[in-house]
Amino acid sequence: MNAGQLQSLKDLIEFLKQQEVGEFDLEQDGLKVHLSFAGHGRSAGNVDLSQLTHLLQHAPSAQTHAAAAPVHLPNVAAGAPAAHHAPAVSDEDGLHIIKSPIVGTFYEASAPGAEPYIKVGDQVESGQVVCIVEAMKLMNEIESDIAGEVVKRMVASGQPVEYGQPLFAIRPR
Amino acid sequence: MFRKVLIANRGEIALRIISACKEMGIRTVAIYSEADRNSLHVRFADEAICIGPPRSADSYLNVPAVISAAEIADVDAIHPGYGLLSENANFAEVCRASNIKFIGPPPEVTRLMGEKEKARMSMKRAKVPILPGSEGVIQSEEDALEWAKQIGYPVILKASAGGGGRGMRVVRSSEELPNFFRAARTEAQNAFGNGDLYMEKFIERPRHIEFQVLADEHGNVMSLGERECSIQRRHQKLIEESPSLQVTPKMREEIGATLKRCLETIGYMNAGTVEFLMDEDGKLYFIEMNTRIQVEHPVTELVTGVDLVKAQFRIASGEKISEIITRPIEMRGHAIECRINAEHPEKFTPSAGKITVFNLPGGNGVRVDTAQYAEGVVPPYYDSLIAKLIVHGTDRAEAVARMERALSMFVVEGIYTTIPLHQRIFADADFRAGEFDTKFMERFFEREKLRTESSQ
Repeated sequence: MNAGQLQSLKDLIEFLKQQEVGEFDLEQDGLKVHLSFAGHGRSAGNVDLSQLTHLLQHAPSAQTHAAAAPVHLPNVAAGAPAAHHAPAVSDEDGLHIIKSPIVGTFYEASAPGAEPYIKVGDQVESGQVVCIVEAMKLMNEIESDIAGEVVKRMVASGQPVEYGQPLFAIRPR
Repeated sequence: MFRKVLIANRGEIALRIISACKEMGIRTVAIYSEADRNSLHVRFADEAICIGPPRSADSYLNVPAVISAAEIADVDAIHPGYGLLSENANFAEVCRASNIKFIGPPPEVTRLMGEKEKARMSMKRAKVPILPGSEGVIQSEEDALEWAKQIGYPVILKASAGGGGRGMRVVRSSEELPNFFRAARTEAQNAFGNGDLYMEKFIERPRHIEFQVLADEHGNVMSLGERECSIQRRHQKLIEESPSLQVTPKMREEIGATLKRCLETIGYMNAGTVEFLMDEDGKLYFIEMNTRIQVEHPVTELVTGVDLVKAQFRIASGEKISEIITRPIEMRGHAIECRINAEHPEKFTPSAGKITVFNLPGGNGVRVDTAQYAEGVVPPYYDSLIAKLIVHGTDRAEAVARMERALSMFVVEGIYTTIPLHQRIFADADFRAGEFDTKFMERFFEREKLRTESSQ
């Protein structure tokens, strides 16, 4: 991490503290950051997402991507039209998106500490379990509806997901 | 007071509830189907969660989806609105088991009132006047014939598990009864999953009069007066007003006291409406109770000055009626509501599509409850109500004039609406004179038909 990236991260942390965000995950160009703020409950408050996006776009490390970095606020379910719940993964590469068929909490593995069902780069078969979405204390196994290569995971483990929310991008075989 | 509430509904009532919450500093969570992504209730809520595809059964009526959304959003309470899950006792129970406060009565009370026949018996025991009818569910055709003989024709067969006109048949003679009995049972089974029927005396020209009640969780019930909803088409209300010209202050007080006593015994809580039929002699008979906020609640709000939705939240958070309503209820002036549907004003075919112009009337004494907007889309998956136009005046004459004025300034283009129908009703001499019963619309359409035929 260079000095510019570090400064951006400091600005980001300040912003998040002001907005009283409890937890924050960021994945950007191979850089993965998980921030957990002590003393804050699950509520995320009224986060000004446009300001957040602005902060992330101007981080020096984001020069290869014009689009806003994938921002996931684990405790805020998708809001009003201004805030979209996941980055628009373009279909230009013919990628197939596995979407959540139910509302609930996404988990990448069957239990805490267990191996994730699938990782980026894995091959999946149609019908193969790719993740869990927990709803009302029931662990629902979500199956892939296509065979191919896992190109991208779009949600973080423990994140609330809504109906139709993109979970994985698969390059069909 | 609740910190965060999920609104388990859509359209204008979801927006109504969100509005009350905003005024009370309660954070709101909207749920929506994919067809409602651009709805106003989604836009104005603090948070919104997509819970399913367009069909209600897969989204708004999908209990696990609704509860799951409530859990991930970490809400304290769920307001069910009207229709959808609002009178679903199972849903209320799931809320209770999930430690989420359901804004409404306890599941046991909802269940009791939901079984129409049990509700009748309950009211009868509490000395609320009910229509002569069968004691309990009718066991067989022979049973039906016996009851009808006792009650006296004409009689009406009704579904114990439902309403809205389905599973209902009017029977005028013993010859007709067996066939109608079978038909009503099948229809009820198909519509509600329960073919149980009961029977009541049928009043040829009844008026529909209903009383609004509020009950706190400390055993106190208060009546907020009546609404008259006799203008109906196929058992669906078109126009409601308050007060009813047929209800004297003495009647209002007596029914209010009876309902207070009866509902306190039953242990009713939160908002509710008790429906009566009034016969040609002005006598009231209980028919059913709705254990939720109703579509036409604004009419009562305008004449009493009580915000019913806020009252619901205050009651559910433990406040007493005496804290919420600090002065005796007075009926001030006259209020009328027109339900504006996205339907052809003569053919009544549903008119889904994009609204291109949406100009709302305003000004003194005019209230519009709507979740539609210009460039908004009316989806084909849900009921056709797109707006409620409510007016208040110092008396009925002013309210009528105000409604006519407001209707003429309500401009909607891009879809058909029933605004022209309402304008024709308000021009009708009988309506203006307050001379009507629940058969009014039938006669109105007959008159219109004769007018068009004779002018050809």
